[in-house]
This record gives sequence, C-alpha cells and structure tokens, in this order.
Amino acid sequence: MSAVQHLAIVGRDAPLWLAACVMQSALGPSGLRVTAVELPAGVDAADGHAALPALEALHARLRIDEGRLLAATRGAFTLGKQFQDATGQAAPFFHAYGSTGARIDHLEFLPQWIRARRFGMPVAYEDFCLTAAAARHGRMLVPDPEIEKHGFTDYGYHLPAIPYGAWLKQLATRRGVTAHEACQVDVRLDARTGDIAGLLLDGGRQVDGDFFIDASGHEALLSTVIGAARESWRESFPASRLLTAYAPQIPSLPVYADVRAGESGWLALYPNQACTLVEYAFSSETPDDVALEQARHLSRMELQGARVRSREPARRVAWTRNCVAIGEAACVFDAIHGVDLQAVQLGLVHLLPLFPVSADFAVERAEYNQNVQSAFERIRDFQTAHYALNRYGGAFWARGRLSPVRADLLRKIGVFRARGEVVHYEDETFSIADWQSLLLGHGVLPDSWDPAVDRSAPEVVQGEFKRILAFIRQKIEWQRSHAEYVQLLCTPSLLARGERAPRNQTQ
Amino acid sequence: MPATPLHIVIVGGGSAGWMCAAACAQVLHPQRYSLTLIESEEIGTVGVGEATLPALRDFNELLKMDEAQFLRETHGTFKLGIEFRDWDWPGEHYVHPFGSFGQLWGGVEFQHHWMRARQLGLQPAPLEEYSVAVRACRRNAFDFPDFKKPRSTFYGYAYHFDAGLYAAFLRRWATARGVKRIEGQVVEVGLDANSGNVSKLTLKSGQKIAGDFFVDCSGFRSLLLGEKLGSTWEDWTQWLPCDRAWAVPCERSVDFTPYTRSIARKGGWIWRIPLQHRTGNGHVFSTRFVSEDEARATLLAQLDAPALMEPKLLKFRAGRRLQAWKKNCVGIGLASGFLEPLESTSLFLIQKGIQDMLRLLPTPEAPQPDERLADEFNRSSDSLYERIRDFLILHYVANRRFGEPLWDHVRTYPLPESLRHKLDLFAARGHVPYYKDGFFSRDSWLAVLFGQGLMPRTYDRLADFIPTEELSAKLRELHAEVAAHVDDMPSHADVIARYGEAPMKRAATT
Repeated sequence: MSAVQHLAIVGRDAPLWLAACVMQSALGPSGLRVTAVELPAGVDAADGHAALPALEALHARLRIDEGRLLAATRGAFTLGKQFQDATGQAAPFFHAYGSTGARIDHLEFLPQWIRARRFGMPVAYEDFCLTAAAARHGRMLVPDPEIEKHGFTDYGYHLPAIPYGAWLKQLATRRGVTAHEACQVDVRLDARTGDIAGLLLDGGRQVDGDFFIDASGHEALLSTVIGAARESWRESFPASRLLTAYAPQIPSLPVYADVRAGESGWLALYPNQACTLVEYAFSSETPDDVALEQARHLSRMELQGARVRSREPARRVAWTRNCVAIGEAACVFDAIHGVDLQAVQLGLVHLLPLFPVSADFAVERAEYNQNVQSAFERIRDFQTAHYALNRYGGAFWARGRLSPVRADLLRKIGVFRARGEVVHYEDETFSIADWQSLLLGHGVLPDSWDPAVDRSAPEVVQGEFKRILAFIRQKIEWQRSHAEYVQLLCTPSLLARGERAPRNQTQ
Repeated sequence: MPATPLHIVIVGGGSAGWMCAAACAQVLHPQRYSLTLIESEEIGTVGVGEATLPALRDFNELLKMDEAQFLRETHGTFKLGIEFRDWDWPGEHYVHPFGSFGQLWGGVEFQHHWMRARQLGLQPAPLEEYSVAVRACRRNAFDFPDFKKPRSTFYGYAYHFDAGLYAAFLRRWATARGVKRIEGQVVEVGLDANSGNVSKLTLKSGQKIAGDFFVDCSGFRSLLLGEKLGSTWEDWTQWLPCDRAWAVPCERSVDFTPYTRSIARKGGWIWRIPLQHRTGNGHVFSTRFVSEDEARATLLAQLDAPALMEPKLLKFRAGRRLQAWKKNCVGIGLASGFLEPLESTSLFLIQKGIQDMLRLLPTPEAPQPDERLADEFNRSSDSLYERIRDFLILHYVANRRFGEPLWDHVRTYPLPESLRHKLDLFAARGHVPYYKDGFFSRDSWLAVLFGQGLMPRTYDRLADFIPTEELSAKLRELHAEVAAHVDDMPSHADVIARYGEAPMKRAATT
C-alpha cells in the first residue's frame, strides 16, 4: 500500500475544524483527501478559548486575516494573565506575554534585578515589563522598531468558542474539506490488523479512510475503541469541576485575563467583544450550587448560562494504530493557563512533518508519541508549579501544595531558587520569560545570581533601570486603548479612511 | 560589606586550564574571586594542531580578542568544515560544512525538495552544490560571511590553530589580568574531613595551596575529580573503539585548505589540519585492529610534505566521568571525558564546560558548593556528551568498507537506541530530528547522513505544494545564486596573508 490517501477526522467544535484546516491546507496539495465528521457541539455560549500567543503563528500559516477573524468571532486580544489573591495571603502578579527589562552590559536583566534587589532596590520585577504595563493601562501594544530592539512582546486571543468553531468550519469547507454531521459514529475495525477500517454514521452513511484523527474531546471516541493507553493526572491537580458562565462585557475591554484565587478554587475572567467569559475551577468537595455562589462572589458580576462539568486531567498515548488523538482526546489538562487550544496545535504541528508517507509508519509514530508526550509533560509541569508553589489561603490551595512535583520540575524550581536560572528543557511551550514570571510570582526569590553581573557598576545598572522605566512610560502613552484598537481592526472602512493601520491586518 | 574573595584554583595549564583562567578573569569580579593556576613545565600538554567549531568565536569575543591578532599569535587559519575521505567507501568523499544546504521553502526543509526533484526525474545537482561552504571548500576559497546576502548562502566559520600557542597566548592574557600562575607539580590532594571537599593541594616543592573551589584541568589523569574524588568513569569504547593516536606536524603544503580533512584507514582515521606555518597530522586508531607500528607507518605514508619531527604517541579511551562536577571540583576538558576529535569537539566541550561553570559557581557569600547547581551542570554536560557521541558513532556505522575488521565491527554493533531511532527516521523519510540544546544541528546531521551514502526511501509530502515546473526553476536559480557567491571569494591563502599572517612564517621562508 502507498501513502495515506484519505484522512477522516472525527470531532467537534474548534479542535475538529482547526485540524481539518491544517491538514487540508498542508497536505491537500499532496493529494490527501480530508473528510470531517462533525459530532454535536460540546460547547455553548459560556465557552471560550484563552489562546496562547502561539495560535497567531498557526493562523498566519493558514493565511487567516486577524481583523476578519476578530470581527466574526467578537474575540479580543490578551497580553497576559493577572493572578490575584482574594484570600488575602499573597501579592498579585502579572504573567505577561513579553520580556521583562533589557540587557545591561550585555547581560541578562533578571540577575541584574536580583542583585539590585538584594542591595535594596525596591521596584518589582514585573514593573520592568513593557507588555504588563501596557496591559495594566488598558493599552494594546503594537511593536515599533524601538520596542523590537528593547525586547519581545506577543499576544494571545480570547475567542468565544461557538463563533470561532463556526468560522473555522467555514474556512475548512471553503478549502475543500468534505463535511458530514453525525449524531452517532460507530468505528469499524480491520479484523486482521486491529486498525480502524472505516466509520459508520447514523442513517447508514459510511466514511472510509486509511488514516484517522480523533478530535472528539475528552470522550476520545476513536482512541477508546482502539484501546489507546491512558494515564490519569488526577493526582496532579486539586480541581475536578469546572463551572463556565458568561457575564456582561467590561466596558474598558481589559486586554488580559484576570485570574482570582478564592478559598475553594480559582476564577478566571476572559474579556472579549461580546461578553466576559467566566471559568471557575473547584474540587468536587464543593457542591455545584455552592460553587456558583462562590463564583458570583469572586467575580462580583451577574453570571448567566452557568454550567458545571467534571474535568479529569489525563493523558493518552496520542498516536495508536492508524489514529492520532489531538486536543482533549489526547490530553485533558487542568484549566489553569488556558492551554486547550495549545494542546490541539501541538498535536497538529508535530503531526505534519511525520504524517505517513507509506503504509509503514511505526517509526514516525514512535517519534510523534515521544515528542508530544514530552511537550504535554512540560505543560503539566508549568501548571503543577502554579499549584505546588501557591501561597493562597484555603483547603483547595493546601491540597494544591501537595501536588506531586516530578524530578524535572523539582530541578527547575531548585536551580531557580539557588541561582535565578531557568532550566529550559526541550519541547517547552512556555518560554524562559513565562517561567520567570510564574516562579517569581509565587515568591520563589533566588538566593544568588549569575556572578557575571557583579562586574556591572551599580550606577550604570541604576541608570539603566531608570531608562527602562522611562521607556515603558513613554511607549505606553503612544499606544491605542485595546477597545479602540480592536474596533479599528474589525472595521475595514475605518482603515480605508486612512487611519494608521494596525499590525497583522492581512497576512 | 565585601566577603572574602572566593579562591578558585585551576590545576593544569594547556588549552583547558588557560581557557578557563582567561574566561574567569574576564567574567568574574576581581574583588569577589581570586584565581590561581598551577601548571608544571615537566608535564607536557597534548597540544597539537587544533581544529575547532564556530562556537569558539563566541569564546574569543567574550575575551574581546582581536581576530587578526589571534590568528597571528596562534598561526591560525580559517575552517569552513571537515572533509571526510574514504569513510563510506574508499574513493568517496564529502564535506560536513558549517552552513546550510539550500533553504526552507514554505517551511519545508530543503532536503525534501531536493529528494522530490530527484524522484520526479528533474535531475537536481548533487546536494553539496547547494551549499556555499562546501563549494568554497572545493575551491580552497574563503571569505567572511555577509549577513546581508540571501539566507540561502548562509554559513559560519571556525579556525585551525596551534593549541600550544593558543594556551601560551591565553596565559599572557590571563596573567596580565590578575590570574596568579604557580609553577609546580601537584603531589597530594587534601580533603576536608567533614565535607569531603578538596581543601588544599601540596606541590612537589612542599608548597601548600588552599582553595574554595577547584577546577581539574589535569587532562586524562583527572588528578582531583577522578583520582581523588572518585567520580565514576563511564566507558564508551564499545562504540568508539579507537584508543591511540600518533601525531606529527609536517611542512605546509600547496594544498592550503579552508577545512580539516579526515581520511578513513584500515585501523582508524587520519586528521590533517592546515596551519600557517605547518600542517598538523595525526592517526587515531584502535589497537584492537592495528598495531602501533603499522599505524605509525600509515600516518607517515599519508603526509603530503616532509615531517618536522618524530611522531608522538597519545593514549586515551572514549568515555566520560558521570559527575563532571563533584563536591567543590569541576573537571574541564579531558579530566571529565574524552571523545575522539573526529568532529573537532574538544575545545567546544571545554568552552561549554567553562560557560556552565561560570554561571553556576558558588559565591563568596555562600562558598560551599550547591548540590542543585552541581546537578544542573552535570545534566547539561550529560546531554552534550551523549549527543556528540551519537553523532560521532554515525560516521562509523554507516560505512561500506566491507572486509576490514574495524569497519565490519563498527557497522554491526548494537547502537544506542537514541541513534538507531534517528537513523530509522531518516531512512523512512529524510526526517532529521531537531533539538534546542547541544550539538549537532540539523544541517550537520544532514551532511553526514547523506555524505555517508544514506538515501531516504522518500521525502516529506509537505513538499508537494510546489508545482513541478516551479520546483525546477527554483532549484536552478538557487544553484546559480550559490555558485555566484562562491565565484567571488578570494583564496584561503590570500585572505590569511592579507589579514592575520604571523610574521615568523615569512622569516622562515626567506
């Protein structure tokens, strides 16, 4: 048998259509036929995606126009996440999608800051972060050459799930994906090999295919049938229930996610153009109706469309036989840090350069499973660190502090505490800057610093600190408010009238 | 409130010791760290003609070294890659360049486009003709990379130089910047009874030297790390059986290559490293497969100019110490491990060890070594050693020198699983794994995989997006671009003469 000719993807919502778009765009020219079998939606008006910056790169690869996307989905930008403590135990911190400070004497900023702080310099680390400062001031941050020279800055999106899925579906079918809707899908196995031979849809419809993607979410429709091995991550995380709801739009349209720790769980607000999406994660020890009250209290907003689902963190072997599970079918993460679309994206991006070129793909499968497992475990480490290091009050967080910390993460925390260095492994989703924010935010203050910075003269360092803070103040003044920026981007007629064009308007 | 300076004692001169001393003197604050290096004129160093990797330029830049002066001082030349002769099969040869082959098109690596063109019958040029660095090697040409030129013509460069002169140069450099040099031979290493840390060294003269932190640059002997602290040796001779080298310099020949040459022979391989004033040669071999005498004769027969002295014999074995940092002692260079110089990694391993050590060093406020930082050093060192090891083994396993016992042996022994998997992936579809840290890059893997005569069964389907006619045109265009770039390059000999030639060479020829 030759290379795969027909790929069938079973799933729902954004993961299904993102997979269909990516596979069709990348491998359509190679003669691959892509069929999408759409199951009934699993999301409702209270669901959304808090997408990490990486999604923009994938969109660019798909030649998605950002303005049109945000206009159609009523999504918005996000420059990071603010973590606040409603239990009153810990200071807030901002995890920005951008670098902090700038090199001084050609040396990294963090050790300079650790050293200065040891000698009494009072300014917080994140105050040196341009991206965080823009977010706090409600400004979008559009890089100019000076900003690009200063450091890096990036952004993610808050995308309402229903319109985002619908938009991707439209794109997929326009690009040539064949779509079927189905309430019921039965998997037909090849009796000899145990591989998936085809799908039987309700109404007697048949979809054959020689390769399959399972994008059906946590139920993992195909992967379960072929017996993909599953490993529970229940022990790693204190939350097992997730409440979703929506609330009115916040008028100023904040350009970041707001995450608030309560005694029994955490609440996240994801602003977008349509509304504010709300998530509340808690443990099953809290009854659902009590959780709703807690969520109301923490959000201080009127919540609508509330729905509670259980969430069981677990990882499956992603590629089993002739089927690759992506997204939640492969790995259900904890809800913190909003990594669900990132998991989908990782699954697809790793699959492309290993997509079968012949009937024998055992070596590709081994490579894929190894890479994806490693990438997933790195994300789990990042989430685990958030719980294991927390200093919040309440039983939920006390349980979080007991999360098992695996050797790689233990080393990372240990080396950071000792020296302020981030051990950055292969396959990390989160950058060194992300880890610095997380670890410092949870109060891991390094005992020492890279000895190289001892040679920098204190007055030079102080001068640079002042310069950086002034640069940040000056740059923020020039930025448009998030609301204004989004409106401009989503209204082509304004652009046509000669308004200054925001970046990324068209790829 | 400055604490007492932390006293770092480096044991051993040579490249490792003086590179370490120089970097410490440059990076560390003189009031926070004091530096002593102990070396003995009685103990010779291994220093022969040394070939390096482009990363060495970062090291020289760290010291703010003037490149032309450095070349003059060390009789250095430029290096664009390594030519491997007879490795796959007698008569075959290829270059592993410091640069890319072609360029990414549509995010898809060049080898897939090239293989597709072959399968479509478009008859693309040999892969190496899409590499600027390889084509420059073929013409004995050199020029500095120009980053304003198209990406397809990207390459880097390194140096060949006299390692003994480099060490001497760094010695002058470091001692002028406060490193205290003590002449003497260490005869006893004293440990602290409680901590087990190294506390002081006794020299043959009876002089005692106390220190807080020790760097073992004593070479194969591994006086502190191995002999005293007992860091376990992990043997890799099952994969890399060579255990000896004969080294001999000969006069400079007309063939003034901007690359190192490595020639496979019955019992091992021969290196050839062109310097300004002479050519360094050596034969790395395995005593399991060839006698010392025979190897010596093989080397002498291979020289392309008269030998300048009697060959010197070096003994070694492949492997490394499991803890390169143990207690308050770090091994840098041969004291921590050895990999044969097939890919010029010796100085790179030293450099990487120094850089890791510098960022993880104890501080005067907390002079006791931190277990967590030592572990991190060792983790970094492990992954570097293992990746280089796999890359070296690759040269041996993919050979077709049937009927020669060494080459039959290395072709058939069980491989490390990490390497087996890489070879399978390449064979299936030309896929070359990528890793963030450590050597070697994807381009290097490609060069050696294709160079050793391996050809994937097919290419990645992602390459199919380019229509056939367009692919043909793009390849032609790229080929012409690369050729034009190399046509403009001056000869290697001219660049050296103009830029950084040592005065003594002219004196010698007149």
